[in-house]
Formats: sequence, structure tokens, C-alpha cells
Amino acid sequence: MAYSDKVIDHYENPRNVGSLPKGDTNVGTGLVGAPECGDVMKLQVKVNPDTGVIDDAKFKTFGCGSAIASSSLATEWLKGKTVDEALAIKNTDIVNELSLPPVKIHCSVLAEDAIKAAIADYRKKQEEQKGAPVGAHAQPSA
Amino acid sequence: MRLWELLWSVTPDPIPVRSVSTLECRNCGAGAPVDEHFCPQCDRILALGRYGDYFSFFGLPRRLGIDRQDLEQRFRDLSRRFHPDFFYNAPPAERLASLERSSYLNDAYRVLRDPAARIEHLLAIEGLPPVKHEGGDPSTSSGQGVKVPPALLEEVFALNEELDDIRELRESGGDRAQIAARLARARTPIERKRDEHEQCIQELSEQWDRQDGAPPAERRATLDALREQLLERTYINNLLAAVDREAASLGNL
Repeated sequence: MAYSDKVIDHYENPRNVGSLPKGDTNVGTGLVGAPECGDVMKLQVKVNPDTGVIDDAKFKTFGCGSAIASSSLATEWLKGKTVDEALAIKNTDIVNELSLPPVKIHCSVLAEDAIKAAIADYRKKQEEQKGAPVGAHAQPSA
Repeated sequence: MRLWELLWSVTPDPIPVRSVSTLECRNCGAGAPVDEHFCPQCDRILALGRYGDYFSFFGLPRRLGIDRQDLEQRFRDLSRRFHPDFFYNAPPAERLASLERSSYLNDAYRVLRDPAARIEHLLAIEGLPPVKHEGGDPSTSSGQGVKVPPALLEEVFALNEELDDIRELRESGGDRAQIAARLARARTPIERKRDEHEQCIQELSEQWDRQDGAPPAERRATLDALREQLLERTYINNLLAAVDREAASLGNL
């Protein structure tokens, strides 16, 4: 099976590799895994709480080329989108953009799961912040 | 029919199960239980009438504790009895049956002597979804309903990151002795995890073997727990492979 040029490009020059401070209430972290192949993917978004727009997105993936490319592409797409727009990203969009073959579709599913998990984490943090008095709990270190 | 034509027609298709409860001897027409290899009446080799259960093919109960020597002995006995050389002058149907049974026997032996493959086979014939699946439907979730425990993902991620840091250090020409020491430290928790995993598999296997007459729900719970362990296995094996790769790269400096 050959990887498409876009997969190779993302694999060789992954965008937005790295991490954002996990303890920041404006940062949402999604950590997901595909047990069949042993892949693990971390995707983070930094949201402007006033506008709901994703200012920054980072990822780190330990897995195959398609998993890396899927998450790299996802972070590219996430930047500048609102949280709601981000939730509309479907794994099939990633499959089409990267021309993933059927055996690698689960990599795109993983990326979609990671986006959803990151945003769910962000929302949970925002809720907790609203609910708790200021300074009620210490910020965990990143 | 030539031998290679017979061989060509033997397709290894171990699972899914084709269930046939009895066989019929093509020679004398007598019925035989599905686990028989030879006709109880005329002693001719029976066509391979069913696929699926490697345990019963060996005359073994569906238990995970298998004595390797006993298994090997059964394998040797059956290999000898099915051997195509003994059917050289037999009618084509019997020659084919000997090839089918020999081929199936090899598959069954390969699976049953490997403890992890044995568990996967047990899960399959007990009707659980496969641990590994290739490709699949884009609408299905990656974990096929089994979520990896978040704590495991955190741990696996952290161990992978440490290995990544070590690799970067090596590639940027860091001190070899220091990198080797750090790699040794990274290896310890992974190996401990592997040992705990093996221990857990062992305990669950013994539990399964004691549950012959237990309620279905209890048996199912054991199988589910075994399946979860097999999911963890890929992560552990990948980490161990990454450690070994790094150690090899370091050795080549």
C-alpha cells in the first residue's frame, strides 16, 4: 500500500507538533488511542474564551504515518475555527483530503475522536471555572 | 487428481465457524461425531466437515491451560495419522481429506501453542468481537466499543515521550553513556508493565478454566477481561519494540 503525497508531506513535515499547558483553563486536551494498532494520539486546542475561536492547536502522535498525518491535518484545520465548527469536522473529511485507504480509515476516526475529546475537556474546564469561586483550586502544572 | 491440484483446493479458512454437528462417512455412509477424524465404522479418514474449534479438533476442552508436551504429542500423533503419504493410493476424496486435515492441524497447532493466539481463538469461538480488525467501516468507532482506560493511555503516552526524548538526544549527539542509562531507566517501567500484564492474563486464564459450570454472565465477564488485556498487549509490545530499536541504534553509534 502506498501513502498519498499529502500523507507523506504531513508525515515528513508535521504541522503543529508539541504541547500546550495542560493546566490552562483555555486549553482542552484530548488523549485517545487505537488499541488494535497501539497508536496513541494527543491533540490540544487553545480557545479564546471571549470569541470561542481556536487560536492554537498542537498534537503529538505515536503511531503510523496515517495517524500522524490525520492529526497534523486536524490541527491545521482547527486553527481559526470556532469550537462548534471544529465539532463539525468529520473523519470522512480527513479520509478524503488525505486519500486514506480503507485499512487506514481508523486513523482518521482517531483524529476525530481526539478533536471531540479536546473540546469536551475545554468545555468541562470552562464549566468548572464558572462554577468554582476564583482561586478555589490550584492550577496543576503543565 | 494430482497432488498439487489437491493442495491448491485446500484453503485455510479457520474462522468463522461452519457448524455441522455430525459427519457422514463417504465410504460406508455411517454417521460420525463431528470431532472424529476417522469413521468409527470403517476407519476411513473423514472429510473435514467443520471449521472453527481448534480445541475440539485436538480432543481438548475449551480451556486456556494447555500442557505443551501433551499438545505436542497430540499434534505428532495426528500428523502421523493424517499424513498424505499414507493416502497415496487412496481415492481422491480421502487424499483431499488427509490434506485438509493436515493443513487444518498445522493451523490449529500454531494457534494453540501460542498463549495469546490461543486466547484470541477462544474469544472468537465464544463469539466476542475480534481484537484486531483491519480497515472497516468509517462510522464505527476506533475501539469497537472497548475504550482503552485513560490511565493506560496517559502512561503509554508518557513512556513514548520519554523514548522520543532519548531518540532526540541520541540524534543530536548526546553523551552515549548518559543516554544508555536513561534508556535503561525507561525500560524498567515498561518491563514491569509487561510482567503485570502476563500475570493478569495468567490469573484470568486460570479463572476461565475453573468456570466450566459457572453462570454465563460470569464466564462472559472473564472473557471480556481477557479481551481488554489483549488490547493492552499491542501497546506494551509496541513500547518494548521501541525500546529495542532505540537500544539497537545506540549500540550502532
